[in-house]
Amino acid sequence: MPHQLWITAFLNKYFAGVANAILGVFHLHSPHPDAPIPNYVAMQIVVFVFLVLVFVLVRSQLSVEDPGHVQQVFESINGMISQQGHEVIGHGHERFTNYLVTLGLFILTCNLIGLIPGFEAPTAVPSVPLGCAVVTWIYYHMNGIRQNGPGYIKHFIGPVWWLAPLMFVIEVASHLARILSLTVRLFANMFAGDMVTLVFFSLFPIAIPVIFMLLHIGVSFIQTYIFVLLATVYIGEAVAHEH
Amino acid sequence: MRKLTIGLFSVSAITMMTMPAYAQGGAAAPATNWVAIASGFGMALAAGLAALGQGKVGAAACEGMARNPGARPGIQLALILGLAFIESLVLFTLVIIFAKVV
Repeated sequence: MPHQLWITAFLNKYFAGVANAILGVFHLHSPHPDAPIPNYVAMQIVVFVFLVLVFVLVRSQLSVEDPGHVQQVFESINGMISQQGHEVIGHGHERFTNYLVTLGLFILTCNLIGLIPGFEAPTAVPSVPLGCAVVTWIYYHMNGIRQNGPGYIKHFIGPVWWLAPLMFVIEVASHLARILSLTVRLFANMFAGDMVTLVFFSLFPIAIPVIFMLLHIGVSFIQTYIFVLLATVYIGEAVAHEH
Repeated sequence: MRKLTIGLFSVSAITMMTMPAYAQGGAAAPATNWVAIASGFGMALAAGLAALGQGKVGAAACEGMARNPGARPGIQLALILGLAFIESLVLFTLVIIFAKVV
């Protein structure tokens, strides 16, 4: 029986059967059949429910003549990412703002939830940043193909035709390395933050770990910004029209 | 040139004096944990070189913003991007250590 947070225990009590059935569809078996939902999946469900509630709340209070505080906060978040899209991508960037804002809010909430006692950050497990990175990778390739059609392959060929075989291999390797780097950057920052807090907790439990939790807040914001910025840059490269 | 030759030969002579150590066939009984020592050195090397690189990026960004305050948004973007890329290389080293040592 693995160590479970109270939310995981609650979910496993009621939804263990459903989770085992879903795993069975893919011919997978959890190593703990009475606790098939791991901590990080439970945390992601919490983040998902929280974000959907927030979005529904904001949407119900939207008004053009009399914007409230919450609406202004979300407008400023959307405006920041939209402006960055305009700077990096240029023409036609409005299509991507939705995905980038959602990605940013999801990663930010996942990172910050690790600070609350009784919860842990799902991004401190390698699978969750991998999921975000793979979805972003598929998204920007999809948009590149949608924008450029079959000419998207020209992005991989390089400037001259007689370098094309070499350039293709290098470009494919570099695109795969992007998944790795996005995943490892986010995972290692969150994991290292946890480790460092634990180490200082074991050394001097009274006031010092709080400093590292403050650092963790700062790192969470910066890493979210970096992830969204890199996603914007990759989308911009994929969508660019070759001259 | 003569000092260099003398220096090189003495270093190789001292290195060859350790040859008998290879005869013992491998396992020291109260095993020194070479993996931990090597990973400590590796991490320190990665962090130190990354700090040098990030220092250069930061200095170039400051100088650029000082010369041309109007280009601030673009330079800030390049600064954050550069710092994040260099930091991620250090984090690759950390992840390898956690995968192999812990």
